[in-house]
Amino acid sequence: MNVYINQKEIQIFDGATVRDAVLAYDKKAHEFLLKGKLAVHDRFGNLLENDGELTPNQLITIEPTHSDEIN
Amino acid sequence: MKLTNLFIAAFLLQLFSAAGHPDIQRAKATDTARIIILTTNDMHARIDNFPKLAYLADSLRHQFKDVFLVSAGDNFTGNPVVDQYPDKGYPMIDLMNRLGYNISAIGNHEFDLGQENLNKRIEQATFPFISCNIDAKGATFKQPEPYIVLKTADGLRIAVLSIIQLGENGLPDSHPDKLKGIHFEEGIGKALTYKYLKQQSDVFIALTHLGIEKDPDLAKQMGELDLIIGGHSHTVMERPMMVNGVMITQAGSGLKFVGKIILLVADGKLVGRSFELINLNSIKGKDKIIQGLIDTYNSNPALNEVIATAAQTIEGEDALGSLMTDAITDRLAVDFAFQNNGGIRISELTAGNILLKDIYKLDPFGNMVVKFNMNASEIKSLIGSAYNREKTLDLQVSGMSYTLYVDSAKVLRDVVITDSFGQALDPAKEYTVGINSYMASSYRFDHRDAGVSLYTTTAQALIDFLKAKKTVNYPAVKRAIIEVVK
Repeated sequence: MNVYINQKEIQIFDGATVRDAVLAYDKKAHEFLLKGKLAVHDRFGNLLENDGELTPNQLITIEPTHSDEIN
Repeated sequence: MKLTNLFIAAFLLQLFSAAGHPDIQRAKATDTARIIILTTNDMHARIDNFPKLAYLADSLRHQFKDVFLVSAGDNFTGNPVVDQYPDKGYPMIDLMNRLGYNISAIGNHEFDLGQENLNKRIEQATFPFISCNIDAKGATFKQPEPYIVLKTADGLRIAVLSIIQLGENGLPDSHPDKLKGIHFEEGIGKALTYKYLKQQSDVFIALTHLGIEKDPDLAKQMGELDLIIGGHSHTVMERPMMVNGVMITQAGSGLKFVGKIILLVADGKLVGRSFELINLNSIKGKDKIIQGLIDTYNSNPALNEVIATAAQTIEGEDALGSLMTDAITDRLAVDFAFQNNGGIRISELTAGNILLKDIYKLDPFGNMVVKFNMNASEIKSLIGSAYNREKTLDLQVSGMSYTLYVDSAKVLRDVVITDSFGQALDPAKEYTVGINSYMASSYRFDHRDAGVSLYTTTAQALIDFLKAKKTVNYPAVKRAIIEVVK
């Protein structure tokens, strides 16, 4: 299935979670996500947990939780 | 005399209330009723916060006469203490019973238990599991009710309808073998056939396991609903969404949060509703009895269960990786399986007893097995790209052996693969390949098939394999080698 992270199309296996998709998007972003330095939101602005299950064509955004911690 | 008049008034009130709906006998509260609904979803067998939830629920029950506790599904899968309990999943049912859950949606991961086990757990539950788009006629799984009607102390009726998500294959996200014989109908379309519940209730709720991407669609098509209590997407909703007059809520996952909904009903009409997301870590109190139970479950002796015997010590990445991948090809019926060395987290399984907890030390990440349909060229691409990550042999394998030919500068020159019969792969054939979800997400390799999760962890495949084999032996196994060429 395809999902969109920060408007970038990502091909990922069916059944993937937020964590899987962010890893496919960028390994460094995945590391930051696991450390709690990045947060993932859905198209409504809700926070998604790392193990949240994605649906095809879902739009998600990743953003720093504390921007000064990511350099 | 006054008491008699009161009874007559109550009788007349009930008579007139029912007159508009002759098939419905319901009493009406004359004052504004305050109904509390505590909601959890996607607990995924995380039990540690149950003592806090119990404390919170009991505190509210002392203050309010109508407190309901509901789960929007996916109670199981995600914690070996629960998943590997002798009666798989039972600790969740025990705890939910003790806390007084009133109802649970059926989530996709409920089926991970297998239909027979799920039937047993549902029979042990003191609350119903419901879903409107499951047709289990002819299946092992027992047909659930589509909805139930909860009643308040004053006789107000709360209709609760449930829906389970379906993936693009028309099935809930669980291993297809776990779903055999069950027919699943498109959820929102099926839910629409229950609009009539609005007329038969004072409050109409959908307890869904659809995910936040689908719940707004349900709300748009079913404005009869007062409330959608959702699950599946593990969405942390600080504030509820309002769509078409329907309030949509969800409370994260893993029992880190609980949703607290307050409904105000006056004269049979919902006149107010609110949602508060409560972080359970902010609750200071704990139910001591439940905490004692959690402590007992967490010391689960089942994790010390002997699941197989190693005839000799299984030592090193080659042998351990071969064991892990053999489990995938054997249990999940794929032609080949690969395991990255980075995911092999112990150096050996010593000769003798292999304990359940050893497997979680060997493979602690909870990665799922992902299946790809791949041709020989794509499989070579996978092996080659894995080598190129660190210029070292990275993949252990089952169903084949392979040789990496590299030059003195470690540049990969060729990959030669032979199947378990010593034959080269057929370039025109498609093979099924199982890899873990970490590799599926992070390794860059050629593949036309996007892959599909088999909703079985690599650790679970290994546990099942070892239990089936009883004794395993991997002396000096080496299926992948590097040769330096000029």
